Amino acid sequence: MRRILTVTLMTVLAAPGLAWAADATGGGDMAKAFAVLAAGLGFGLAAGLCGLGQGRAAGSAVDAMARQPGAIARIQTAMLLGLAFIESLTLFVFVIAVILLFVKS
Amino acid sequence: MEIIEHPPIFHIPGIPDQVFYTWVVMAILVIVGVISTRRLAMVPRGSQNFMEVVLEQFLNELDETVGHDGRRYIPLIATLGLFILVANLMGLVPGLIAPTANLNTTAACALIVFFTYHWIGMRKQGVVNYLKHFAGPVPVALKPLMFVIEIISHCARPLSLSLRLFGNMMAGHILLAIFFFMMGLDGMLGWALRGTLGGIVLGAPATLLIVLFVIGFLFPLKILVALIQTFIFCKLAMLYIAEAVAEPEHH
Repeated sequence: MRRILTVTLMTVLAAPGLAWAADATGGGDMAKAFAVLAAGLGFGLAAGLCGLGQGRAAGSAVDAMARQPGAIARIQTAMLLGLAFIESLTLFVFVIAVILLFVKS
Repeated sequence: MEIIEHPPIFHIPGIPDQVFYTWVVMAILVIVGVISTRRLAMVPRGSQNFMEVVLEQFLNELDETVGHDGRRYIPLIATLGLFILVANLMGLVPGLIAPTANLNTTAACALIVFFTYHWIGMRKQGVVNYLKHFAGPVPVALKPLMFVIEIISHCARPLSLSLRLFGNMMAGHILLAIFFFMMGLDGMLGWALRGTLGGIVLGAPATLLIVLFVIGFLFPLKILVALIQTFIFCKLAMLYIAEAVAEPEHH
């Protein structure tokens, strides 16, 4: 039941974007409409999953820091590196979204 | 992009913006360098003291990452770090742009790191040994496969290095641009100035809220991101160099 509700909600929320994108480009250009849709959905997905991953990483790091306060500096360095690697995957999606949105093909 | 992003204040026709602002960064760094080394003293004061503290951080990181031989690479790492730091922070000044918010600048930095660490590795271990080191400690039958995989992963390094810096800076700029757009004459402020009741009741507080949010949250966040990205770029460059100079263990 909840799944059906979610899917319906997503469709309803996505429809105006599609309509707006189709309007803005003069109606006929479906590629641009799907580009806007893909950029939004893809970046949302990437940001959410990146949040999950970074949350796990930061949580474990804080756990380790609480257990070993002497090693805070090294744990912090490792955490920052890990967060950067996780985040860079999101940024790839961001670059792709920017290309989809702004580069005129 | 030009829909939401305003051009910088100073624009010289015929020269791309990021090149001109790279020159500005270079000028800032040269001036700071000249000022802080003009009167060298054993007990440093003022700008010399400041620059020594900054370089001390780079030295500490190099010692920690590369090891006892790491101080040879301080010119490369510190130059990259200072350039990227000043360039990142320059994007926060309204009217200027960050040269690192352009893929060409970051790709140049990443390619310098890429070629340098290969060069260092080949100088240190010899070409054949360095290429052997790619294949890794696996059985002979698997070596060709490992070699190809390693080559691909090494080629992905400058890509991720440049895209990470570029994406972070660019995302921050687009975020700021969108918030200024929401605040400005096309957004909440325009609504408030139109004189309708809703505009005055809702638009004016909304403008104030966005201003407070940008000053109190977004700008500190962008300063933090600028520092962290500089740190990560330098740290990764150091790690690559450390991996290139490390002797293979299985001998």
